Amino acid sequence: MPASLRIAGKDLRLRIRDRSALILGILAPLVLSYIFFLVFGPATTGQGLGLEFGVVDEDQTGISASFTAVLESAAAEGILELSVFDDQAAAEGALEEGDVDSYFLVPRGLEQAVFANQPATVEVVGDVDAPNSTQIAASFAERFSSGIAASQLAVVTAATVEGVQVTPDFIQSLSQQPSVAGMNYVLIDETATTKQLDAPTFFAAGMAVFFLFFTVQFGVTGLLEEDRDGTLARLMAAPIPRVSVVAGKAIVSFLLGIISMGVLVVATTFLMDATWGAPLGVALLVIAGVLAAVGIMGLVASVAKTPEGSGNLGSIIAVVLGMLGGTFFPIASSGGILASLTYLTPHAWFMRGLADLSSAAPWTDALPATGAIMVFAVVTSSLAFLLLRRRLQK
Amino acid sequence: MKRFGDLTAVDGVSLTISAGETFGLLGPNGAGKTTAISMICGLLRPDEGSVTVAGEPITTTSTRGRAAIGLVPQDLAIYPDLTGEENLKFFGRLYGMTGAPLASRVGEVLELVGLAERKDDHSKEYSGGMKRRLNIGIGLLHKPQLLVLDEPTVGVDPQSRNAILESVENLSTEGMAVLYTTHYMEEAERLCDRVAIIDEGTVQAEGTRRELVSLVGEKDRVAISGTGNLVDAAEALRQIPGVTDASSSDQRIDVLATDASAILPELLASVSGSGGSITGVEVEEPNLEAVFLHLTGKALRD
Repeated sequence: MPASLRIAGKDLRLRIRDRSALILGILAPLVLSYIFFLVFGPATTGQGLGLEFGVVDEDQTGISASFTAVLESAAAEGILELSVFDDQAAAEGALEEGDVDSYFLVPRGLEQAVFANQPATVEVVGDVDAPNSTQIAASFAERFSSGIAASQLAVVTAATVEGVQVTPDFIQSLSQQPSVAGMNYVLIDETATTKQLDAPTFFAAGMAVFFLFFTVQFGVTGLLEEDRDGTLARLMAAPIPRVSVVAGKAIVSFLLGIISMGVLVVATTFLMDATWGAPLGVALLVIAGVLAAVGIMGLVASVAKTPEGSGNLGSIIAVVLGMLGGTFFPIASSGGILASLTYLTPHAWFMRGLADLSSAAPWTDALPATGAIMVFAVVTSSLAFLLLRRRLQK
Repeated sequence: MKRFGDLTAVDGVSLTISAGETFGLLGPNGAGKTTAISMICGLLRPDEGSVTVAGEPITTTSTRGRAAIGLVPQDLAIYPDLTGEENLKFFGRLYGMTGAPLASRVGEVLELVGLAERKDDHSKEYSGGMKRRLNIGIGLLHKPQLLVLDEPTVGVDPQSRNAILESVENLSTEGMAVLYTTHYMEEAERLCDRVAIIDEGTVQAEGTRRELVSLVGEKDRVAISGTGNLVDAAEALRQIPGVTDASSSDQRIDVLATDASAILPELLASVSGSGGSITGVEVEEPNLEAVFLHLTGKALRD
């Protein structure tokens, strides 16, 4: 058996005995991802925001009914709870009782105003103790009013083009055309260029790849620990190639990383309903991610003087890369310079790869991200190997 | 030779050690002993010079020659979370030992170093002396042709120290060449067939204890306590071949001789024959500490 495997076997035995890898590699990320999911998960889907709205339709026309219909469809998707009141007095009573956070008052004469090309507004009355809900209600109303104004402009333009007067019959004829679009309230906007992970998968993947860098440290930092504890001298005096000492540590880091990620993928799938995607694609991303982590942490160990120094520097790098890489919040979709800088981390490519695998995409969709992560792996591993080899052959 | 920046740690150290010989490298802390043996064991690359053990060159890249060397480092080199047996088996496998031969040899070494009953305990539970013995056992495991011990008794209690020294004494009888570094003169005198005195990276002198002592002109001292005519007795002693000087003082004669143990009976007979009455005898042979002091101008433990 090659010496590197013997050294790796010995290190794995030691890590299992002191349980450090188990705690940092599996328990911590599993618990944290579940906590993050419980705290932040509902906010990303809109579900569980606790919006309680009321609506009073005093106009009782087709246009006012369309506004109420939009609210009802949002309620049907679980984004809000809606109460329809017969009159404003009933709505006021519900507001005072705290049954609703705010209510919409569609005034009498709304449709008439629309057809008369007059401004059409919907009033929002909110509870002072529910400013967020009231603000969201105001956004709904403003969106509706803007839509009306845009439609009015379109109607006037069409009438001008056709040289006719704006009449209810003309408007009715326009509304039959398929180009007239209605409001569409969707809190999650899925664009055509980038996909996004659902909340459980995002937090599971984010914590897994974040803690991966701490986990693989156990292997490569082991080289410095052996130097400190005196056993490195014995290893180097033994009739084994020097490179096998480095290789043994790298193998341990790799195995710990694979085991950690593997357990987290399976556990979060069952515990949090995380949807990682096509297994082969996920496997490629995980392997590439682990190799990148080993390379980066190996580079840290090659420049550190002591195990403590390596641990400190490694932790700083792991946190910075993790945050910049979007493991805590989706920086890539935030825009600005951060959205570009994030892709200087393997973390961002890992998350990107998983997003590419979402919505039942084939495993090949993960190949671009895998390739990007492998660039990190190859560059950092090569540098680390050269520096460590030089250190051992002084 | 080995340099670290502007510091020349070792220069001009040239040793030849025969099978069955225990060779001592005696010098104070910082003399270059560890650097020298690091090069011998292939841990450090010499800037000049070469090392050959059992006909094989020792370098930092070649592996064959290192199989002939067993290293017992000054710092404990054992894994605290492995048992004594696991430590031995792990290192044994690195030296190509496997299966039944490995298990058998591990058992032998555990008996040899007195750890057979504690073999299943994690080495972190061992006492300091036990850890040192395990440290030595690992170096012996593969029956090396050259065993290198770097100050193996540092920080060890007297009982364990004695046990270690006894173990080392037995090694040379098994045909193993031993290179033993120490800053304790008494260890070098007890264990070593030949000693090289090293200071500031260079070998100051090399040879048997007797050769080193005579090299610097140190003599044995004999103090004879007695009564009677000690003045005449001292005069008579000066005539005996091998006596360099003899002087008398109040109830005592101090004699300097090249080899007191060889002429002691003659000395005592001469005192008695000259009218003196002997009440006590003390023989003080010059030690390596005195040699070191003579050569370097400082004590071994400065």
